[in-house]
Amino acid sequence: MAFLTRRQLALALAAAPCALPAQQATAPAAVASKDLTAAGEEYRKHSVKLAAIEIPMATEPAFRFKA
Amino acid sequence: MAASLPEDLYFGGIKELNRKLQSREISAVELVRAFSERLETIGPRYNAVALSLAKPAAKEAKDIDGDLKRQRFRGPLQGIPYGAKDLLAVAKQPTTWGARPYAQQVFDEDATVIAKLQKPDAVLIGKLAMIELAGGPDYNSAAASYTGPGLNPWDPTRWSGGSSSGSGIAVAAGLVTFALGSETSGSILCPAAFCGVTGLRPTYGLVSRHGAMALSWTLDKIGPIARSAEDCGLVLQAIAGGDDQDPGSAGKSFYYAPEFTRDLKMVKVGLATEDIDDWAEPAARPAFQAAYDVIRSMGLDITEAKLPHFDYDLLIDTIISAEAASIFEPLIVSGKVDELQDAKQIAAFKAAIDIPARDYLKAMRVRSLIQSGFRDLLAEVDVLLAPAFYDIAPKINLPFDQQQDKRPTPKKPGLSALIPAANMAGLPALCLPCGFANGMPVAIQLVGRPFTENLLLTIGREFQARTDWHKRRPPVSASPAAA
Repeated sequence: MAFLTRRQLALALAAAPCALPAQQATAPAAVASKDLTAAGEEYRKHSVKLAAIEIPMATEPAFRFKA
Repeated sequence: MAASLPEDLYFGGIKELNRKLQSREISAVELVRAFSERLETIGPRYNAVALSLAKPAAKEAKDIDGDLKRQRFRGPLQGIPYGAKDLLAVAKQPTTWGARPYAQQVFDEDATVIAKLQKPDAVLIGKLAMIELAGGPDYNSAAASYTGPGLNPWDPTRWSGGSSSGSGIAVAAGLVTFALGSETSGSILCPAAFCGVTGLRPTYGLVSRHGAMALSWTLDKIGPIARSAEDCGLVLQAIAGGDDQDPGSAGKSFYYAPEFTRDLKMVKVGLATEDIDDWAEPAARPAFQAAYDVIRSMGLDITEAKLPHFDYDLLIDTIISAEAASIFEPLIVSGKVDELQDAKQIAAFKAAIDIPARDYLKAMRVRSLIQSGFRDLLAEVDVLLAPAFYDIAPKINLPFDQQQDKRPTPKKPGLSALIPAANMAGLPALCLPCGFANGMPVAIQLVGRPFTENLLLTIGREFQARTDWHKRRPPVSASPAAA
């Protein structure tokens, strides 16, 4: 998908019907360092579990789906 | 002047509405105006709408009336109002992907599925709300959306499900006749189940994703949410097909032809009894049991089945997180990721960018074994049957991790991991409403071999001929007082 130029974007937004108001948009979340630590720890646990899975050496990654 | 139609029409099926248009009982302009007004009036109460497209829809409807007058019929979708999840590009209109950092984003061409629905003259009346970035690597709250939490039309204190939140709400509340959603792992089935409507996740590659936001190249699928299995079949026929612009395209078409499906008495269905006995929320068990009894009464050959033994959550988390972090690398490294609503999603994105290649590749290699395991399983049975979700929609006022089920995890896995498992195998699924628990809808899912959507839809159509759960309507009124 190609992006529009800034001029095209401005024209498009001016012409577009407005997004409906009054829905419950909220302020962005603040991320505490404990959240980041927890997320990193979660992926490290994933690493350990994945390393423990034994599979045949010839197994290739799944990139195709056949009927 | 406010347009209004008999209430039944807002909940009519595609063929029924199209018959009324062809017979000139109602005009496309009247139909589209009435649905657009309903979407604009009722949609925001449930945080279902990202953008109303009433004006361009009205113009399109006028042209369709001209065609109908000249008896230029273009099939059952002609003149039918629909909505699209806001991850699908609509030319020259904002496409926010449900996320504040993309609130001003505009593309210059339609997504392939939007273009495909223009050919039979279906009318796009609005873009529908969604969980930001379709959930990203993870999220912890119904409020993880630029437009606020999707509120369930059956009980607005509960979640609509996601990530195709607005698509589920809009169909359930009669704001559109059908909607497009997308699924990476559960994002069509979840809102369909929680809102009590029918949802179809097509086989990976059957429907082009060109012009859709990518979350995971190897998992993303686009599919319909509608009132019935038949309506899902009609929509799938219009949107399926090969597309050189989607590298994942299977290059296959789909023709909805339930009449050519084999005799259902020759179809073998695999299920796990512990799904109902151990996994399901106790209040939902009678509904699931009754649904299984209906399937049994259709003459299908029922047998016990087990999923291949893998840690599906671990594998799909790794795959989605690694692919999503690569796709959204510019968002993460620029720091604009901090503008997202959900703290857990922000943290997951930041951490996921450091997932080692060996983890991703290991998960994808194990995924090959999953596909192989499913080939073996689906050589024994034609279809897998399970509850779509084991619990009803959660309350919106608490983060998901604070409303965990207090029941102990059952010893036998049953088919409880069917959603991530079947998504990793690229398999199609059909979600069918099957009753209520504590006043909220519950649903079953059918999963089949790749490209066997006609078989799933035929079973679904027969199920819906014997039940009326898909015809139930939530207590939604156009009157503001009834919000």
